[in-house]
Amino acid sequence: MASIQDRTHEFKTCVESIRTRSAVGNRGTEAKQRLLQNGRASPKSEFSRMASAIGKDISSTTLKLNKLGQLAKRKTLFDDRPVEISELTFIVKQDIASINKQIAQLQAHAKQQEAKNASTSAEGKLLEEHNKNIIMMLQSKLAETSMTFKDVLEVRTQNMKESKSRTEQFMYTASSAANHPPSMLYRGTPDPMGDGSPTKAFDPKGKSRASQNGDVLALDLDAAEEGVGSSNGGAFMQMQLVEQQDSYIQQRSTAIESIESTIAELGQIFQQLAHMVAEQGERVQRIDADTQDIADNVRMGHNELLKYWGRISNDRWLMLKIFGVLIVFFLLFILVS
Amino acid sequence: MKIFAISILLAPPSGATSMLSSASDLSSFSFFQRGSIEEFMTFFAKTVSERTQQGQRQSVQENNYIAHVYNRGGAEQLCAVIICDQEYPVRPAFSLLSKLLDDFISKVQTSSYSNPSSISFPDIQNYLQKYQDPTQADTIMRVQQELDETKIVLHKTIESVLQRGEKLDSLVDRSNALSAQSKMFYKQAKKQNSCCSIM
Repeated sequence: MASIQDRTHEFKTCVESIRTRSAVGNRGTEAKQRLLQNGRASPKSEFSRMASAIGKDISSTTLKLNKLGQLAKRKTLFDDRPVEISELTFIVKQDIASINKQIAQLQAHAKQQEAKNASTSAEGKLLEEHNKNIIMMLQSKLAETSMTFKDVLEVRTQNMKESKSRTEQFMYTASSAANHPPSMLYRGTPDPMGDGSPTKAFDPKGKSRASQNGDVLALDLDAAEEGVGSSNGGAFMQMQLVEQQDSYIQQRSTAIESIESTIAELGQIFQQLAHMVAEQGERVQRIDADTQDIADNVRMGHNELLKYWGRISNDRWLMLKIFGVLIVFFLLFILVS
Repeated sequence: MKIFAISILLAPPSGATSMLSSASDLSSFSFFQRGSIEEFMTFFAKTVSERTQQGQRQSVQENNYIAHVYNRGGAEQLCAVIICDQEYPVRPAFSLLSKLLDDFISKVQTSSYSNPSSISFPDIQNYLQKYQDPTQADTIMRVQQELDETKIVLHKTIESVLQRGEKLDSLVDRSNALSAQSKMFYKQAKKQNSCCSIM
């Protein structure tokens, strides 16, 4: 019976001592310490646990992103694996979103701690700063990952465009644009076109969706697929879907561009108008000057005539008299002689 | 260019769509056909909204009718459908749908989605009436139309300015001639005055 010792009391004192020790170091996480039931003295606060979890997530996401990048860089025309790529992109996106959320939670947690922690001790303050730094580092790492993600997506779209143009050169069908699908919308259903058979076996939703595109003719779709005969017929439908999406936006942009050009034209017309009116203004000035001259001339001529008339009307009496005298003299001369 | 019906549906991705609000203008059909056509419109709207993924726009043609669907998804999982004839321009149809959804979301609370009969959204009828003439209702088209009219007015203005220029030209010539003649008149008058020396 002595072999079974009851060391509960010792155990309890141990727990107490460790608790007090860790409580001094981690004042801010006192509430969380109660969770450490088994008395584990590890001062791992909730904060550092969350932070390490986030770090692990980030590293795993980076790995996946690298793999995605490698896949995207491949430039082969036919061996493109849209399923994988789209799955990976989807997963990476989700991961980034969840990491974002976790970091936000962590930040909120840290702020909570800060609010609770009214300590002025140097340790407490260091702890806060340490938490903040960790958060910033995690955020910058996440930003890096998202930038790389964006780059990978860009590379992927570029490659797709190139392969699209190359397929147009080689494959002369009306729907040759469909050979390489965008992976964003693809919901990861297994590619049913592996054996090259037309879409009768494909789920009818996809088929009806594709035929409802603006092109209307399902026949067109069938013929194109048989003509292409590649394993990407299923993906062809999605390209149509994306084109539908794009076309609305493109239509909008073309409409707005046409408005812009109309406004520019109107501006030009206004300018021409202004030019013509300015030119005509000069003519109006000439007319104005001419009419002034006319007015002056006519006035002066009128004055002259008035003078003349005045002279004559004054002199007539005298002239009559002179004439009368002359005539009398003449008569006298004739009578005398 | 007619719109036959507009409807807003709740379209959760699990497949069961329910109609939240709709308005239709079936005045072009005979009285007896209207009932069946209304049913057809509802069925059409439900089907295409079920077949459209979230965040996607689609156009489906069925005989003479085209349905433009915009499944916005998002938190409210709404989807708007407009059924119109083939002449109706596509882009304003989609912008109408977006506008309608925004309006609906702002005016009707999400809690009433589960009880469609309680939703009253009379604006949908206004939208239907207003957008029967898309060139007036849709902003981009209206701006384009006004710009075109302005361009026509400006062309006429330039023509009249040209005519004014011609008239001004003739005026210039005539005033020139008149000025010369008045000068001659003045000279003559002066000469007459100086020459008459009869005292």
